Amino acid sequence: MAMQPAARAVTVWKIYGSGEAQVQALRGVSADFERGKYTAIMGPSGSGKSTLMHCLAGLDTVNAGEVFIGDTQVTGLGDAGLTKLRRDKVGFIFQQFNLLPTLTAEENIKLPLAIAGRAPDKAWYDTVIQTVGLGDRLHHRPAELSGGQQQRVACARALVSRPEVIFADEPTGNLDSKSGNDVLNFLRDSVRHHGQTIVMVTHDPNAASYADRVVFLADGEIVDELHSPTADGVLDRMKKLDRRGDADA
Amino acid sequence: MIKASLRGLLHRKLRLTLAIVAIVLSVGFLSAITVLNDTLNKRFSGLFQTLNENVAVQVQAKEVSTGETPRLTAAQLQQLSNVDGVNGTSGDVSDEAVVPFKKDGNEVTAQGFVGVGASGDDPLGLISLREGTWPKTASEVALSANTAKLAGVKRGEIIKVFVSQVGEPKPYTVSGIVEFSGGRDSLAGESLVIFELGHAQEMFYGQKDVFAGASFSADSGVSQEELKKRITAALPSGFEAKTGDEVTEEQSNQLAGQFDFIKIILNTFAYVAAFVGIFLIYNTFNIVVAQRSRELALLRAMGASWGQVTGAVILEALIVGVVGSTLGLAAGIGAGMWGESALTGALGAEIKSAGVVVSPAAIITAYVIGILVTLIAAFVPAIKASLVPPLAAMREIARPDKSLKGLSITGAALAVPGVGIALLGLYASFTGSIFVMGFGLVLALIGLMLLSPLLARPVVRVVGMAVAWGQAGKLGVRNSLRNPRRTAVTAIALMIGVTLIGAAATVVSSFKHSLQADIGKYDVAIMIVGPNYAPPNGKTGFEASALDKVEALPGVTGAEPWWLTIESSIAGQPIPVVATDVAAAQKMWKLETVGGALRTLSAGEFVSDHNTAKSLNWKVGDSVKVRVGTTERDYKLVGIYKATPSVSGPVFGLPAVDDFEGKLAYQGFVTVAPGTDVAATVAATEKIMAGYPGVTVGDMSTFLKQFNQIFDFLLLAVTILLGMALLIAVLGILNTLLLSIVERTREMGLVRAIGLSRGGVVRMIGVESILISVFGALLGLAAGVGIGVLLCQALIEGDFLTEIVLPWGNLAAYVGAAMFFGIVAAIIPAWRAAKLDVLEAIAYE
Repeated sequence: MAMQPAARAVTVWKIYGSGEAQVQALRGVSADFERGKYTAIMGPSGSGKSTLMHCLAGLDTVNAGEVFIGDTQVTGLGDAGLTKLRRDKVGFIFQQFNLLPTLTAEENIKLPLAIAGRAPDKAWYDTVIQTVGLGDRLHHRPAELSGGQQQRVACARALVSRPEVIFADEPTGNLDSKSGNDVLNFLRDSVRHHGQTIVMVTHDPNAASYADRVVFLADGEIVDELHSPTADGVLDRMKKLDRRGDADA
Repeated sequence: MIKASLRGLLHRKLRLTLAIVAIVLSVGFLSAITVLNDTLNKRFSGLFQTLNENVAVQVQAKEVSTGETPRLTAAQLQQLSNVDGVNGTSGDVSDEAVVPFKKDGNEVTAQGFVGVGASGDDPLGLISLREGTWPKTASEVALSANTAKLAGVKRGEIIKVFVSQVGEPKPYTVSGIVEFSGGRDSLAGESLVIFELGHAQEMFYGQKDVFAGASFSADSGVSQEELKKRITAALPSGFEAKTGDEVTEEQSNQLAGQFDFIKIILNTFAYVAAFVGIFLIYNTFNIVVAQRSRELALLRAMGASWGQVTGAVILEALIVGVVGSTLGLAAGIGAGMWGESALTGALGAEIKSAGVVVSPAAIITAYVIGILVTLIAAFVPAIKASLVPPLAAMREIARPDKSLKGLSITGAALAVPGVGIALLGLYASFTGSIFVMGFGLVLALIGLMLLSPLLARPVVRVVGMAVAWGQAGKLGVRNSLRNPRRTAVTAIALMIGVTLIGAAATVVSSFKHSLQADIGKYDVAIMIVGPNYAPPNGKTGFEASALDKVEALPGVTGAEPWWLTIESSIAGQPIPVVATDVAAAQKMWKLETVGGALRTLSAGEFVSDHNTAKSLNWKVGDSVKVRVGTTERDYKLVGIYKATPSVSGPVFGLPAVDDFEGKLAYQGFVTVAPGTDVAATVAATEKIMAGYPGVTVGDMSTFLKQFNQIFDFLLLAVTILLGMALLIAVLGILNTLLLSIVERTREMGLVRAIGLSRGGVVRMIGVESILISVFGALLGLAAGVGIGVLLCQALIEGDFLTEIVLPWGNLAAYVGAAMFFGIVAAIIPAWRAAKLDVLEAIAYE
């Protein structure tokens, strides 16, 4: 039996609104996200890539189909079940506003463990802290950190509880290219060296090129995928997708 | 610009509602009190208008004279009634404290006890016979319908009536029942007993055919003023004439005067509530404008001037202020009407309602407070918002905490000298030192308020350790510390009410303990106290001769009567006149002589405690003008004693009682030999006092318990009256939390996304709420206990107190209550935060 994927979507439908205004954001999407892999979800805006990620992470409900994180069926979980899922199996990195302004960097990193009432694994924590490379700024508040530093803190926070999967929503969207590359390297290293599973939504071909696999979405359906991508390869596919969109219109 | 501002206003319904509720509560309570006062006043003056309906002129003895109160003879009355223009004449033979008894032997309870003498129908038409006949003999009485109902007697039955001059209850046959014009049973719930005229004159004035005064109605076409002029010309000396209108005004002012004290207290609490409301409104607007700084910055970026932005905010505040004040005024009028009907209902008064009175003053106060406070509250943050560079605000750069340095230095600069000035006022003795102390306390309080943001950090940390469990709790602690100014302003609203309660509790507790300690020093075992249905003036209480019977009881070593009247003034001050055998009092109360001699006093002599003597600058040998009732005489100070919590003030000798309205003693103190059965002696004394209405007998522990109950009741009353201020403060916490949550929507989403449960969110907000409320309570208790201790120290200086005892139980209960209110205030905000959708919250702009 093949290894169970870290996250799995089975013919997921997501529909917003009704009647004339109805939008089919996801139309029977099925996808597996392998353990220890770095997967990027790409697509033009309105393609449903963010919706897919939100449904996978249990942040949004689906109209039909099933979602699994590891062996846990996400669809159908109540609030308590979702809370437990977020504590134990999922990590998040958002585009912006990722940290609590009242806590120091260190406190922010430890927050998920503190919320779950678990003690950090000392060795792992040190590893994460070392990789994040904040040094003496660990005791600073987010307001005193640069955007890139803040986002690395957010990455460390997602890593520290060793979730089955980390969902990253445009993690470099608000950063300059140098800081963005730092964050992307950091994420790729956590996959390569520590076997972390990461699912990342992006519209930036350069960011996608850091992933092991890129899944392309258009009009709520998976239309293509690419293994061991390069930035140029991704850009090519995207252009095709855009053309397809133009032809449709 | 204006359009944009107004549309924005309607889009922020929650914030708008909160701001308006804040204004409505503050304005409403104040309006309610004002409307209640005005409406009651109108109703009272309505009462006296009916009482004096047909009175054109009234003749009374002049206010102050020396010697006997003059009486009108029947011949003089006849002469006056012959004055041209007089229609009806009604001679006044009346007395207060004429108390009827029920069949079970207990006295009737009513709003005042009136006895009059009459020989038939009232010539002025106020009172008329409903059934039976007017009293024809000295053994008959007529009763008002209300009195008959209260006493439970019918025509033909026997009723016992106490008249102070007679000294014991006497049985009468009820010959008839009377009513007031309009078929009313009573005017204002009072009891009325009508004696045969000659019998009443003999009892009240000691002789037949004399009157205290008279009322006259006028022939048609003769004005009140005209008749007054004609009657004054015919008046015997010692009398004066007043028009019916003048009398009505005097009487209603007098009655209203009795309510002045309550009015002042109610007004004080209403202003406290309004003051607390200022903080609530200020905080609400401050947060609302702060949250809109991005929107305002956008307007600025598009070219709106500083003035336009500020103007838009001010316009919003003006609209909110007008709407809030109007609703508050309406709520206040409603509450005032309800309070008036509840109050008059409780008095059992049958006074016709004069309709609700909303004076211009009430309307002006409501709008001035509501609008002005809102404008001020909005102005400060509006200026701040307009000064932020547009792009900085739009980019939402996390603004660093503003330094509390300037605020704290100002606070300390006020608080430290404030405490110093208060202490100076306490220990230095010069005229007005009490005001100096008050001024110092106000300075110190303002200082403390300015220091409170600085204090928030350490206090919240320490309290947080106690109440914040788990990570959610810790986040709550952090949240309450992130904006110390906001936390402090919210907490100050609560602090104000708690300060007053804390001070009152400290003073009350010290009073209770001091009294208990002092009473224990004396041999006095039993106390006899007169009734409280009328102010003491010699007509209520018991005859001194009754104490001779008490003194004859086995084991009793002494029984001393004390007379008391409050219808008096000493050196122009409204000080009660107390009379007793000073030599006996000196022994019984172990009075210490400071100057002169404490001995049995003769006519024209008095003694005083050293504090009163000091404050009025009296020395032994000084002559002081003393008025009792209508009689003024010179008294010489012959001795000064050291005040104790039990005995203080000027004390006179038995001859002074001659000037009292009646000869009844008001208090009695009984000493017993060791080993005497006190309970049996109390029972025997009660039997002796049974005929005197309202006189109570008890051993010292019973009286201490009663005193304690009175103190506890006062404290409870203060707490209840502060209820509105506390309610507003709790609403302020709720307000701050709700607005903070809107501000932190994305954070809520974030912590939920990384695994905080709904319960965790609720706990986080609950902890923040509890911390704010407990911080407010602790600030208030610190200030309140401080003020209370200073007041107690001032009372100790005046020998009213001997010790300061902090009410630890109460203080702990107040902190507990603050926690409870913190939890209550958190319910709605926590519920709103918990039901936030995680995804929407994270995406919230």
